[in-house]
Amino acid sequence: MDATPDWGHATTLDDIRGSVAIAGIGETAYTKASGRTAREIGAEAAQRAIADCGLEPRDIDGITYNAAFADFDVAAFHEHFGTNHEIWSSPWGGGMSWAGTAPYLAAGAIARGDARHVLNVFPVAWATQRASMTGGPGEVHASQSLKQNLEVPFGWFPQPVYFATIMRRHMIEFGTTSEQFGAIAVAARWNANKNPDAIMHSKVMDLDDYAACAMLADPLRLFDSCLISDGGAAYVTTSLDRARDLPHPPVVVQGIGEGISDSGQHWSQQRAFTSTPQVFSAPPAFAMAELHPSDVNVLAVYDPFTIVTLMQIEDMGFCKKGEGGAFVEGDTLWWKSDGLPCNTHGGLLSHAYVLGIAHVVELVKQIRGTAPAQVSDCEVAVYGGYTGMHASTLILTVDR
Amino acid sequence: MAIKRADFPLPDLADALVGEFFAAAARSELCIPRCGLCDRWCWYPEPVCPVCSGKLAWTATSGRGRLFSWAMVRRAFIPAFADLVPFVTALVALEEDPAVRVVAFIVDVDPEALCAEMPVSVTFRPLRFPTVPDREVIVPMFTPSAS
Repeated sequence: MDATPDWGHATTLDDIRGSVAIAGIGETAYTKASGRTAREIGAEAAQRAIADCGLEPRDIDGITYNAAFADFDVAAFHEHFGTNHEIWSSPWGGGMSWAGTAPYLAAGAIARGDARHVLNVFPVAWATQRASMTGGPGEVHASQSLKQNLEVPFGWFPQPVYFATIMRRHMIEFGTTSEQFGAIAVAARWNANKNPDAIMHSKVMDLDDYAACAMLADPLRLFDSCLISDGGAAYVTTSLDRARDLPHPPVVVQGIGEGISDSGQHWSQQRAFTSTPQVFSAPPAFAMAELHPSDVNVLAVYDPFTIVTLMQIEDMGFCKKGEGGAFVEGDTLWWKSDGLPCNTHGGLLSHAYVLGIAHVVELVKQIRGTAPAQVSDCEVAVYGGYTGMHASTLILTVDR
Repeated sequence: MAIKRADFPLPDLADALVGEFFAAAARSELCIPRCGLCDRWCWYPEPVCPVCSGKLAWTATSGRGRLFSWAMVRRAFIPAFADLVPFVTALVALEEDPAVRVVAFIVDVDPEALCAEMPVSVTFRPLRFPTVPDREVIVPMFTPSAS
């Protein structure tokens, strides 16, 4: 990796180390097609997160959600809870990369006095929508005109094909092997097998199963790919002082980073084709937290495909660029490992495809010590969010 | 959000940004927008040069490049490709500027013989889909360069 890569940049963020904490989490069931709307799912996740904090709906005076998935916004909140109080809101929260930066928005709103308890919520009903052909991850991409005209007609679509091409280039540049990608898939499944909430909880998988599964877009196999799911989750951020008064031990936000690629939104044209903007996001987040990758007890990375896990592990500094393949071999990423337990809930690959919100909720459980696949002595947890040209890094710790 | 053209996935020849790419292909030219002020190749197309705001002109290239990466697609993710799998879709880095990566089919080759940085050359072929009857569009595809 270049000493000073110039293909992207970090968002300038204020130092919010130790100022806010996550005080409540809520999750719906994670399922295949449920027939429910994202709005219903969002309401249930919100309700459970508020109850987990020991708060009432009227105590929530801030909401962050994602503008592109605005199924549970302020209007939906009031309609569901029968409230009408003033609520500060931002459409730059929710899932994906923004599941990692929503606490930063909350910290700002809390510091300004705009809100005390900020709910970040993200529901998705893509499994149900796919059945009715009214939406899903493929359609979101196909609706972009340059992809429609310069990628889709040539079979470079949808996401499995993009990431197969990135996998191939990583193999070319660094000698990464199919078995190493398989190790990531197997680790996610092993972790999911320990988590009763994971969709793939009862399905075991080993490297032989990985090698035998369907090749979708060589070199990318079925088990390199995430699920398609219905489900949602939410968490409530408040000031650290306030969190100390609430029922659960505070999960303290110590560092946040955001990285942006300057090569635009198309995977085909990314200058750093085998890297993610974690290159720009992780270093300032660790600097804010005054921690290092070697301090991390548990990691959760946005993992739509195994290659995205691999690239983020490299780009966040857990190993050198290009050495991720050797790093993830064996049991390194398993929840019980002495290595780097990663996606201990099962991730997008084997838990549910709810676009990162459940990753953050899992880390809160890990810091509380209540995760099904609990990492022992877990004090430092990190989320790596990814949305193509965006990446985020969220560093959480116990209340020290 | 919904895709309007029912006969997708052929490209939209009337699209203001990319129509000329296909018009050039119909003349057997691989053209890429180039800035008249700073000479940069600009891919994907933009209304003006993203670096200097200069005017872009569709400019013919050699049609030669190198195989940057590829996937051999075995699963038809959308119905249009059901009769085409397996096929090789690739990113070709152009000789004029390897940062320009053209998405294209690689044809007339044993997929097992593909290797990174392999020299490739453009060929212009009709693109047809059984799901889009009675229409075809001439598009750039690539084959291994004669050695």
